[in-house]
Amino acid sequence: MTIIHDMEEPTHPKMCTKDVSVFYGDKMAINQVSIAIPAEYVTAFIGPSGCGKSTFLRTLNRMNDTIPSARVEGTIELDGEDIYANKMDVVQLRARVGMVFQKPNPFPKSIYDNVAYGPSIHGLAPTKTDLDEVVEKSLRRAGLWNEVKDRLQESGTALSGGQQQRLCIARAIAVDPEVILMDEPCSALDPIATAKIEELIDELQGRYAIVIVTHSMQQAARVSQRTAFFHLGEMVEYGPTDAIFTTPQEERTKDYITGRYG
Amino acid sequence: MSETATRKVRPTRTEAFEQRLQKRYASERRFRMLGFSAIAFSVLVLAILLGNMLYSGLAGFQRDELRLSIDFTQAGLAGDASTLSQPDAFQVLERQGLPQVIEFAATEQLGEDGAAQLSGEGWREVAQAIIADPSLLRSQQDFWLPTSGDLAQGMDGEGSAQMQALAQRLVEEGRLDSNFDVGFLTRSDATDPQAVGIWGALKGSILTMIVTLLLAFPIGVLAALYLEEYAPKNRWTDVLEVSINNLAAVPSIIFGLLGLAVFLTIFPNLRSAPLIGGMTLALMTMPVIVISGRNAIKAVPPSIRDGALAVGASPVQVVFHHVLPLALPGILTGTIIGMARALGETAPLLMIGMRAFIASPPDGFTSPATVLPVQIFLWSDEIDTGFIERTSAAIIVLLLFLLLMNGLAIYLRNRFEKSW
Repeated sequence: MTIIHDMEEPTHPKMCTKDVSVFYGDKMAINQVSIAIPAEYVTAFIGPSGCGKSTFLRTLNRMNDTIPSARVEGTIELDGEDIYANKMDVVQLRARVGMVFQKPNPFPKSIYDNVAYGPSIHGLAPTKTDLDEVVEKSLRRAGLWNEVKDRLQESGTALSGGQQQRLCIARAIAVDPEVILMDEPCSALDPIATAKIEELIDELQGRYAIVIVTHSMQQAARVSQRTAFFHLGEMVEYGPTDAIFTTPQEERTKDYITGRYG
Repeated sequence: MSETATRKVRPTRTEAFEQRLQKRYASERRFRMLGFSAIAFSVLVLAILLGNMLYSGLAGFQRDELRLSIDFTQAGLAGDASTLSQPDAFQVLERQGLPQVIEFAATEQLGEDGAAQLSGEGWREVAQAIIADPSLLRSQQDFWLPTSGDLAQGMDGEGSAQMQALAQRLVEEGRLDSNFDVGFLTRSDATDPQAVGIWGALKGSILTMIVTLLLAFPIGVLAALYLEEYAPKNRWTDVLEVSINNLAAVPSIIFGLLGLAVFLTIFPNLRSAPLIGGMTLALMTMPVIVISGRNAIKAVPPSIRDGALAVGASPVQVVFHHVLPLALPGILTGTIIGMARALGETAPLLMIGMRAFIASPPDGFTSPATVLPVQIFLWSDEIDTGFIERTSAAIIVLLLFLLLMNGLAIYLRNRFEKSW
């Protein structure tokens, strides 16, 4: 594993993993990954299909807990706290580390209720006015407010694919998380919707630590400041995006970004 | 060689291709015809069944009645609103000789032979009218009272020649007629087909269904939720799943024996009670609800669960805010199918004593009762031919009840269904 240190810009790690391995039953899906995810940047995980980047992403907010056969070894820290420690509350962790999925998955409820769901189960908005405010703020940040402000009571599933994905982002940021994990958020969208999501990621950068898994190297190059290359369950190389794409240190990274395989 | 012979023909333009294509179309037409004839056959059978039932059943809603004019001012019966509101009002009227008053009027107006064919229980209907409105005792009233079964047969052109002649005479005098019998829906079982009603059995069915629903629905839904959402997937849950599936296929009479052996041993005083009937049927309905509930819960897309978990919902919140509302239409449909099956069930209820002759509607969950299918079974067993039509009428009531429940199922499914 090669880690290119960026000497000019020291970063504050938001999440740190140390020797993290993930097993599905006996099969090892992730092999000893150590990475520090900066708070102020967008970090992209790239790599060929089945390399374990999504699996690794899902360990960061313990979504793998829902898979009975999955087992995680090593330590993952959020602001220095071990998230797999017994005293860590999963519900609270997921409120702090939100997630957006590959396929837009709005609840079959109104647009308003989709966004309001997180804040209301966590009691973040005690009054109706507060809740209205949170919903509007989240939809504005997700760049969806102008398109839906007149039809907040319509079903979230009636929106177009790109709008649904932005609604899911609004839903994630409504609980004011510290980290947002995005698992190939544009793979089900057309180029125009993809461009909108990418713009949105740019705007959200700095406010939240963002980790995005993507198939598209162009997308990684466009939206991220840090890139990690995964291959066969290992993290091969991690460093500033420019460096990874221009001067990769590892042969496998070079082969992948030049299109030799993947 | 001419040019056309050497030109290559595409495989889709050849003769053989055309023939294969024709064959494919023909097989599709055959398949469609088979499917259509299957449907047509089912519809035909159903139409014959329903038509037959309606034809003989509609006569079951009618009753042959004799018209009697009774002048209470001459009868010397005493009673007012206060004495007749007591529970023993029937006995009061009986002691004062109401049956004799009616007999006297009948002999006078219908003749000796006609009066003999007045149903022995007819005076009760007069008594009921008086209790409902005591002011009748100061007036002269016409009553339509049920005839005996013999005279009813005579009116249909059956039975003895003597009865047929009597029926003809009374019809000509305007004293005998077939009237729509509202009382069929409000009375209960009796020995005389002219005096029976369906209300006792209907009320018994409703009470039994309430018990079944209250027991089977919550237990079934909770079991389905636990098995789908919480139970670890291991050998024990597999065994449990197989057992539940088997339970759904167990013949219903076995459940009746279970109710007899277990429930009636624990509550020996509740023989024939809707409570015990409902408990027995709940055992039978529960596996159906568990199976349909599990299927409905399985059909909720995992992405919805993930979405809720990712904003920090706890597993219980995921279940109650997302999974259950989305699975509800399926669960409700399964429940009502199970309930409809329970409603039509006879065998297990015979085992726990709900086949008793019960002449008054049940007061509550613990008083003896019978249910619609058992009532149909009992009437179909009677010798008196008057019961044939009554049985068909009872079947119509049962089918209407079923139709109502299935309609409710469809309404609920459409009401709660959401797209995702």
